[in-house]
Amino acid sequence: MGEKLNILFVDDEPDFLETTVKRLARRGYEARTATSCDVALEVIESGWPDVVVLDVMLAGMDGIQCLQEIKRRWPLMTVIMLTGHASMNAGIRGLEYGANDYCMKPIELDELMEKVTIAWHETTGTARK
Amino acid sequence: MILQHVRNFFGKWLSPQQDDARLRSSFQEHYKLFRSLLTANNNALELIAEMEQAFNSGRPFSMTFVHSHCTTLSFQVYKMIQRLQELSDDRYAGLIPAFKAISEQMETILAVRPVIAGGPFILEMNEIDRRSADQVGEKMANLGEIANRARLPVPDGFVITAAAAHHFLTENDLQDEINRRMTICNLDNLEELYRTSAAIHTLITRSPLPDDLGRQIHDAYQRLRERTGEERPVLAMRSSALGEDSGNASFAGQYRTQLNVDEDMMDQTYKEILAGMYKSQAIVYRLQRGFRHQDVLMCVGCLAMVDAKVGGVMYSRSPTDPRSPSVVISAAPGLAGQVVDGRVDTDIYEVGREPPHAIMALKLRRGADQEVLSDEQARELCRIAVRLEDHFGGPQDIEWSLNQQEAIVLLQSRPLGKASTVESIALATGEKKGEDVLLAGGVAACRGVAAGPVYIVRTSLDLLQFPKEAVLVVEHPLPEWATLLPRAAAVISETGQVAAHLATVSREFGIPALFGVPGAVEKLKNGQMVTVDATAGRVMDGRREDLLGGPAPPPNLMKGSPVYKVLEQVLELAAPLNLTDPASVYFRPSSCKTFHDLTRFCHEKGVAEMFAFGSKYRFDEKAAKQLVGETPFQWWVIDLDDGFSKEYDRHQKFVHIDQVVSVPMLAIWSGMVAVPWQGPPPVSFRGFGSIIFQSTMNRELDPAVRSGLANRNYFLVSSNFCHLSVRLGYHFSLVESHVSDMLTENYVSFQFKGGAADEGRRFIRVQLLKDILEQFGFRVEQKVDALTARIEKKPPPFLLSRLKILGYLLIHTRQIDMIMDEQFRVEQYRKKLLTDIETILKPDEPPAAEN
Repeated sequence: MGEKLNILFVDDEPDFLETTVKRLARRGYEARTATSCDVALEVIESGWPDVVVLDVMLAGMDGIQCLQEIKRRWPLMTVIMLTGHASMNAGIRGLEYGANDYCMKPIELDELMEKVTIAWHETTGTARK
Repeated sequence: MILQHVRNFFGKWLSPQQDDARLRSSFQEHYKLFRSLLTANNNALELIAEMEQAFNSGRPFSMTFVHSHCTTLSFQVYKMIQRLQELSDDRYAGLIPAFKAISEQMETILAVRPVIAGGPFILEMNEIDRRSADQVGEKMANLGEIANRARLPVPDGFVITAAAAHHFLTENDLQDEINRRMTICNLDNLEELYRTSAAIHTLITRSPLPDDLGRQIHDAYQRLRERTGEERPVLAMRSSALGEDSGNASFAGQYRTQLNVDEDMMDQTYKEILAGMYKSQAIVYRLQRGFRHQDVLMCVGCLAMVDAKVGGVMYSRSPTDPRSPSVVISAAPGLAGQVVDGRVDTDIYEVGREPPHAIMALKLRRGADQEVLSDEQARELCRIAVRLEDHFGGPQDIEWSLNQQEAIVLLQSRPLGKASTVESIALATGEKKGEDVLLAGGVAACRGVAAGPVYIVRTSLDLLQFPKEAVLVVEHPLPEWATLLPRAAAVISETGQVAAHLATVSREFGIPALFGVPGAVEKLKNGQMVTVDATAGRVMDGRREDLLGGPAPPPNLMKGSPVYKVLEQVLELAAPLNLTDPASVYFRPSSCKTFHDLTRFCHEKGVAEMFAFGSKYRFDEKAAKQLVGETPFQWWVIDLDDGFSKEYDRHQKFVHIDQVVSVPMLAIWSGMVAVPWQGPPPVSFRGFGSIIFQSTMNRELDPAVRSGLANRNYFLVSSNFCHLSVRLGYHFSLVESHVSDMLTENYVSFQFKGGAADEGRRFIRVQLLKDILEQFGFRVEQKVDALTARIEKKPPPFLLSRLKILGYLLIHTRQIDMIMDEQFRVEQYRKKLLTDIETILKPDEPPAAEN
């Protein structure tokens, strides 16, 4: 699929995170996880991720707030919202705050990775070959 | 005006070179937005298709499915609007109110919540009748009706109402957390299902009972104590869910009943019963039947225990045959509950509905030498069944007991589900034993034949390993096995009969079930392929195609359910396409009534923006180049990115097909030129007249009115993308495709609309196109004479061959409608088209026409 992007998953379900990272590792991707927005912000601060996959229903600071904070500090960061549970309104607000794509849980990992790649090209404007 | 615009755009006047550089980067920016718009367009169309598919499939889908699709869809549509606004300098502001109007309506539909009954937390049995259903649930309301209106004996007691359950959930902030856990749970994964079920159970049972509620429950118990005169009456606590749609859905065995509860255990038991709503089999059942869990509230009946000598179930009509003249009674020593759970074998009576209520048939339980009921008791039960049927106005399914004094007490009466009569129930005959008959006898809990590998389930742990489409083999038909029914091919149980909950649910789901076959667990081995012929009461070795016959269509359990209705309503706002003709004056934002309309509008205008860029900014590089080659028509090509070869001089006015490197365009082109077009087919006088007539009726067809984009045939291309708009003669078509290694973004889409000739002929042509496209794997939708066809997520070779076919069809179906008046000509054309396509698709042989 070309680029091996660094992906940060932000989700408060440890089970989901664990299996996703394991399966991505098997495919040669680098993935890291954060179970809270604060941790996510630290990881992004370090400059590591290319793409952030963010659950909208985070406990504590909700996903939309987290998205807002990420986009405020790093407007060019590619952020994909991933959730099985959000109001239509939350989806639209997500878009207004700059989310690059929105996917439903559960999603096939291959499909998610393609969507991640497409969104990354879309935001960075890099050519896709 | 345009000049002014360019100047504003670039702030100040620039030299031509700088100008070109700026324009190039501005174009790139536009292209990026356009690509993003297309990606969102594909996502949106795919989501709509998924929703329609779910709606039509008859397979279960959850509220979460509906909700997340709506949310994702609105995201994608809104994204298209944003991108178009950026592309067009906010020219289409009218899209925003149109979008908001649709999404607000949709949100209103999704947000519909059940009306929470107010009122007291406790109602006494003597205060309840059928009209109390929204406070005490169907089951208890019916029991109250039996006591207070039909005046038949029921146990004394009280009900903890829906208002109480609501109070408990709100005081402990439970509902949101439960919703959250339910929506993130992938119900296809049994392990996840059990984990979620257990977690919610714990959540509910560990939450404290609000003080006021606890006090009122104990006060009610005190009053019951005084009424019964017993020192410490023990209770049967029974679930009575609110939102059960009786008659259609049985909810059989989904909830729990706790017997012999003393005062100390009351609070905990109450919470256990509330939590029973989230038992795995209850979750699966609601999913299958399209109920939303938040629509169901649990009421709890607290009834003085009947010290039962005999218990059982009766149907006021035989479920086999609703017109039959008998009441069917199942009875066994002890509590009625064990009959319902299917744990015991029963005596089965058929008693005449009319006086003198003759005993028409009696089958004794295994190993018994004497029946549990006297003839008079059976007759009395029969009278009660008929009376309850009269009272409730329909066949009833009744649970009853005889107490130690042998007085009849009624525990429940509910409509005999329609589902139970669809599949008839009968005593299986247990035909002659051939050598491949592994087991024979038993009772057809649900008729039918099915085959699959055996899977024996003894414990809950076995449940997790249950393979899809296996034959479920169990010792007892316990309600908890119902979780597996949607994935089972058939059910075999050593004990149990037609009244068991599991039997009711298998009839509802239409899954063949054979109960009362001793030795099944012993005799059958995991993985062994068997055919279960529940109708004939036998289990055969191997897969017996001769018995299986055609698969019976599964009942559409979703139809008419609350979740189904929600999807139906939101689909009305998502799927219909009203904007089919971009040339129409109604092709504008305010005419967009659905999400599909919005995507269509944004797509069309996005393409127009890309098309117009070159001429708008007098930017030669991105202006349309006329295609040079041997074709009967004129074609223009715009390179969006890297669709022309590197050597091509971008300031030329012409481009040769050899200079195009767009993979999808080349595929379309090869289809277009594969078979030479032989000019219009001969037109009969009538056909020609029809075209003249249409031209005078339809201003769109007047060449003088068409302008700009509309009268050109043009390709917009990049190396892996092609958009082709065609107006040939009187019809408009569009082919668009993206072909890459990433399946997610691969697609071919085709639109076809209009044409000269009268509506009847246009319709026949579209019908012919539809048939052919469907043969080649397109998903086709047709609305009168407009057609849209799509293929998604397929690998490049597949898509390229489809593009070839479309290229060919574009040229060769042009004017068929003129001759579409005679059926034999239609068939003639179909044959020619298919033969040509076959030739084109053969990779190594050059098409005949080129020789």
